[in-house]
Amino acid sequence: MAVKSKSVASKIVLTALVLVAIFPIFWVFLNSFKQLVDIVSTTPKFIFTPTLDNYIYVLGRDNVQHGLFNSIIIAGLSVLIGAVLGIPAAYAVARYPNRFSDDIQFFVLSLRFLPPVAVAIPLIAIWLDLGLYDTRTALVITYTLLTMSTIIWLAIPAFSRVPREIEEAAIVDGYGPYAVFFKVALPVAAKSLIGAVIFSFILVWNEFLIALMLTTSDAKTLPIIASEFTLLGRNVPWGILNASVIVLSLPPLIFVGVMSGFINSALKKKD
Amino acid sequence: MNRKTSLPLLFLIPPLVVLAILAFVPTIAAVNIALQNRELSFPNSSYVWFANFIDLFNDRRFLNAIRISLIWEVVTVTATMLVAILLAIFLYETASLRMRNLVTVLFIIPVMLPRVSAAFVWKFMFNPLFGLINYPIKLLTGAPVDFLSLPSTALASVAIVDVWQWGLFFSVIILKLLETLPPQPFEAARLDNARTWEVHFYIGIPMLAAPLLSLVFVKMVESLRAFDLIYVMTRGGPGIATETLDMYAFSQGFVEAGKISYASSMAVLMMFATIIAFTVLWKWVRKWQ
Repeated sequence: MAVKSKSVASKIVLTALVLVAIFPIFWVFLNSFKQLVDIVSTTPKFIFTPTLDNYIYVLGRDNVQHGLFNSIIIAGLSVLIGAVLGIPAAYAVARYPNRFSDDIQFFVLSLRFLPPVAVAIPLIAIWLDLGLYDTRTALVITYTLLTMSTIIWLAIPAFSRVPREIEEAAIVDGYGPYAVFFKVALPVAAKSLIGAVIFSFILVWNEFLIALMLTTSDAKTLPIIASEFTLLGRNVPWGILNASVIVLSLPPLIFVGVMSGFINSALKKKD
Repeated sequence: MNRKTSLPLLFLIPPLVVLAILAFVPTIAAVNIALQNRELSFPNSSYVWFANFIDLFNDRRFLNAIRISLIWEVVTVTATMLVAILLAIFLYETASLRMRNLVTVLFIIPVMLPRVSAAFVWKFMFNPLFGLINYPIKLLTGAPVDFLSLPSTALASVAIVDVWQWGLFFSVIILKLLETLPPQPFEAARLDNARTWEVHFYIGIPMLAAPLLSLVFVKMVESLRAFDLIYVMTRGGPGIATETLDMYAFSQGFVEAGKISYASSMAVLMMFATIIAFTVLWKWVRKWQ
């Protein structure tokens, strides 16, 4: 009996933990389909007549569409450049170790130590002087630092996990070093590499501080637009705000399954 | 694979050159700007050398920001690790395999949210008018508590969001790490009638010391990126109760004054402090592995 009541108790705790983890997000999701009166009620409302008004308003606004477009272009391009340059670099570090390998790895990691504000403030001045302030180009270039270093850092172990024998067999078969990379290592490591690329996409999609400081109107990304909804008019438009949070969060959340698989394979038992 | 080939050079040099330019141009520019008196609204500027830095140390708001940043760093790192370790052990001991697989997906959802979204989600939760946290409080005491507007609770409330994101995420990682440990030492300890917490405290956690230290390190680096949460939830307020260094640098350089040189001198100090601290810590963490 003691064991049974213990397992019931642990089930309750477990359920409570799951609720703490996702209920706040679920609540925002529910509220995004409510009229304002149903949100600002004296008791929480679970049953209400759903409305799409909030989404229609959010998605219909020019600045949201523009921000969405900016975010897609900026995140897409910076991830693409980061992957094209970063993945081969990671392969070279993983498979052709030299006396600088450790230093290279540390340099790439140390880029993450830089406080974003320390990068953003001088970049305000630099992009202003170059006439590129508040442009998508400036953000793509700035974010490439982020995507490239992240992709290199995560792709090195991905390539190290490729069994050496496969690559050596390919060399025996007459493959040159480039063919080994493109035809063997790249396809074998593909799954982990996609995880690394998606991770860097999420980082850039979610990035706020640098975008806030490097844009004023033309190049604003979606997180900046979403953060500005609180400033609309005199009454806080809670439903609209909830809907904009959901719209902003959907792209990273689509990849939850992929990221979970990526974590699993990175922390798998080493046989 | 040691045949002579151009591959490593071709694959490494261009990315490293690009990275070096992208990293060093802003950091050198940051130092350069910090030594001037540039303001966004005036085109002219001249070198004032260390005047900005001297001003900083007489600036009480700057000293406050250092204090808040240090508190934030210590509180969020410690709380995240405690929550993550306890949760991981709890899941390891009680959850079925199916439940574990479900939880490992659900628990990474918060950390994947944009920080701006996470901040809003909890800003709604804390809302005195209709926030879910305030419904029970209103029932019990009759009056809501405006957590984000009280100097005594604002920073802690924002920290909860950070721990919600990272503590849950790290618990998944630690659970995976616990699963990779060999079962024999655990079984031996159980045979000796060790209690569950003793098994983990004396065997599991010490065996994971190296990866746990790495997680502490990662969290220390990530805790420096709290700006988004604070910007959305409190804007550094009430007063300057949640004004961290990046928040203060932002408001000096951008919002209130446009004193970009002054802000840059703050950023430069932060940069040196973090690079030195993290380099030393990283070398130390590496020694454990």
